[in-house]
Amino acid sequence: MTKKAKGRLRLLVSMLALVVLLSSCGGGGSKPENVNGGKVTLQFWTIALQPTFTPYFNRVIADYEEKNPNVKIDWKDYPYDAVTNKLLTSIASGSSPDVVNLNTEFASQMGSKGAVVDMNEHLSPEEKAAYFDGIYNSTVINGKAYALPWYTGTEVLYMNTKLVKAAGLDPAHPPKTREELSEWGRQVNRKIGKAGYAQQLVSKLFAIDGIPILNKEKTAAAFNTPEAVTMIDNLKKQMEDGVVLKEDAEFSQQVKYYAGEQVAFELAGPTFINFIKTAAPDVYKNTIAVPVPTGKADVRLSNTMDLVVPTKSAHVDEAVKFAVFLTNAESQTAFSKAANTLPSTKDSIKDPYFTQSDQSLEAQAKVVSAQSLDKATDYMVGVPNAKDVNSAVTRAFQNIILNGTDTKQTLTALEQEVNDILKQ
Amino acid sequence: MIKWLRSESFTAWAFMTPGLLLLAVFVFWPIIYSIPLALTDYSVISDTHYVGLDNFETAFKDRNFLISIWNSLVYVLIVPFLQIFSILMAVLVNSRIPGIKIFRTTYYIPVVTSMVAVALIWSWLLGNNSVVNYLLMQAGVISKDIHWLSDSSLALYVLMFITMWKGLGYYMMLYLAGLQNIPQDLYEAARVDGASRWRLIVHITLPLLRPYILFCTLISLMAAIRVFDEVYVLTKGGPGTATLTSSLYIFQKGMEQFNFGYASALGLIVGAVIAVLSIIVFRFNRKGGVNPY
Repeated sequence: MTKKAKGRLRLLVSMLALVVLLSSCGGGGSKPENVNGGKVTLQFWTIALQPTFTPYFNRVIADYEEKNPNVKIDWKDYPYDAVTNKLLTSIASGSSPDVVNLNTEFASQMGSKGAVVDMNEHLSPEEKAAYFDGIYNSTVINGKAYALPWYTGTEVLYMNTKLVKAAGLDPAHPPKTREELSEWGRQVNRKIGKAGYAQQLVSKLFAIDGIPILNKEKTAAAFNTPEAVTMIDNLKKQMEDGVVLKEDAEFSQQVKYYAGEQVAFELAGPTFINFIKTAAPDVYKNTIAVPVPTGKADVRLSNTMDLVVPTKSAHVDEAVKFAVFLTNAESQTAFSKAANTLPSTKDSIKDPYFTQSDQSLEAQAKVVSAQSLDKATDYMVGVPNAKDVNSAVTRAFQNIILNGTDTKQTLTALEQEVNDILKQ
Repeated sequence: MIKWLRSESFTAWAFMTPGLLLLAVFVFWPIIYSIPLALTDYSVISDTHYVGLDNFETAFKDRNFLISIWNSLVYVLIVPFLQIFSILMAVLVNSRIPGIKIFRTTYYIPVVTSMVAVALIWSWLLGNNSVVNYLLMQAGVISKDIHWLSDSSLALYVLMFITMWKGLGYYMMLYLAGLQNIPQDLYEAARVDGASRWRLIVHITLPLLRPYILFCTLISLMAAIRVFDEVYVLTKGGPGTATLTSSLYIFQKGMEQFNFGYASALGLIVGAVIAVLSIIVFRFNRKGGVNPY
């Protein structure tokens, strides 16, 4: 061996030794007990709720700690994009939080991996009955409920009355079905050259027309049907005709198109109002909210934020108890009033706040969507590995609608892909 | 011992150690650790099981992964264009015209701008009813909107253009440094012999830039295969799988779907592809250049 080669070998061995030495220093710490003098400290994480709703949480946490002197709540808030990484790294390092705010898709994904507690084991029938069935069942997989529903939102139809009137349509008699909405969009496009609305290509499109994503047992794909072919081909034609913008438009894009008056309608939840108010005050003034036109299934789809308790939590019982408290009717009503969201508990919507409107856009949207909560269901109801399934469905929709692949063939390939995902 | 402490070798190690420590923690260790990880179904959030070579077997049957590798290889096509245009730009700004620094700075602005910001600006320029479409229509080049980012036959090339646009200034600066290392007397001697401007570039500039070309080719090749930001912000790999690149697919499998074991296996395969391509580039071009000492 030459001197040079020996030197290189020595350097490599040194580096490896250093790596091994360093790796032995990190991770794998023992789980913190979070018990101080008999007091249990619960780590509670939310997504993007500080500082706007800090007063509400300070109040509700103080109330809970007063009623449960043995528990202390340590509340942390993370941005939407950071919460996944933060949660993964915390679980990996053995310091899992106890109660975490996640959306349904993420909660289902974690449930499929057995990473969150089954709430059915911990809740009484009365406690379960407090939530709207359609929303509570959204994270039920194989009889196990992987999350408690918290605040939610159902879509309403926002309409730019200026554009609608310019197209010769009457906003006082809005479209009630997807077919009517499509006709309105066609007329908007024909008369003023704008598109009807922008659409995101997600599995929700199946649910709107009552096409099941999976079979009843959640063991196989069930969307490869003539109805699905018709639905997709219809949407494809609408994009060709300019009724729907030819793009897979994420929410932020949809806001942009509506704010720029490139579309006359928007189908979205209550949070859309805040974006429009900021981005385009003039458009906000011309906007009204009406009940969302329904598809063949005649359902209202909810978009819910949940609370989960990771199985790695050191205080599962206390964590579930706190999650139940935070999602009970009283807490949810108070939060809805603070945050302009909808509750997932039946008793909450009996409050006058959800039935009376001062005719502002916010109040219109709130009343309209609150009255449809009893029909609400999450479109990813009990789908295992929901993120994988959604990702595959979106790719297939894009291939058919934007890339022009054959609908039937692509659906058959998607069916196979989803079946493979479910076997994981 | 004291003799060694005073030696050049000790000084060199002392300077290198902080960087090496960081590299060890954030580069070497993750690479080494991904090898055993690739043999498991590790997902962070649930129990881990040894699965042997299953992840690799799945990878070579995974249509989406194969498409993502292919798209990444197509992305490599920007490398020669990037070198040609950045050399030309470097030659252009390597003159003593008054105000040339303004041009150099202008060309460099995209480099120091965050890729996310650049991608968002391009999404506004290229979206539905966009400025680019409007200008092209006004000029009579097109008669109706082109869906730059949602047309599968265009989207990948549009992303490649954006990557190239952003990278040009960076490589231009490297080549500029190379150009300024070339002794001027070589040009003067050639001019005395009657060489044209073109011959000066072909017979002096390019041969003496070879080490720079090798370096820039290598890093732009790796960057092209690892491209992520612009794809994630602008298309998320769509429409369908038209712009699904290997980095994005690995990210989706790991960070979005928690299949870290599988994502590690994919990462190792992509790493091997980059290594093979780098070796080919290295073998291709190792001689030439100016010895600065």
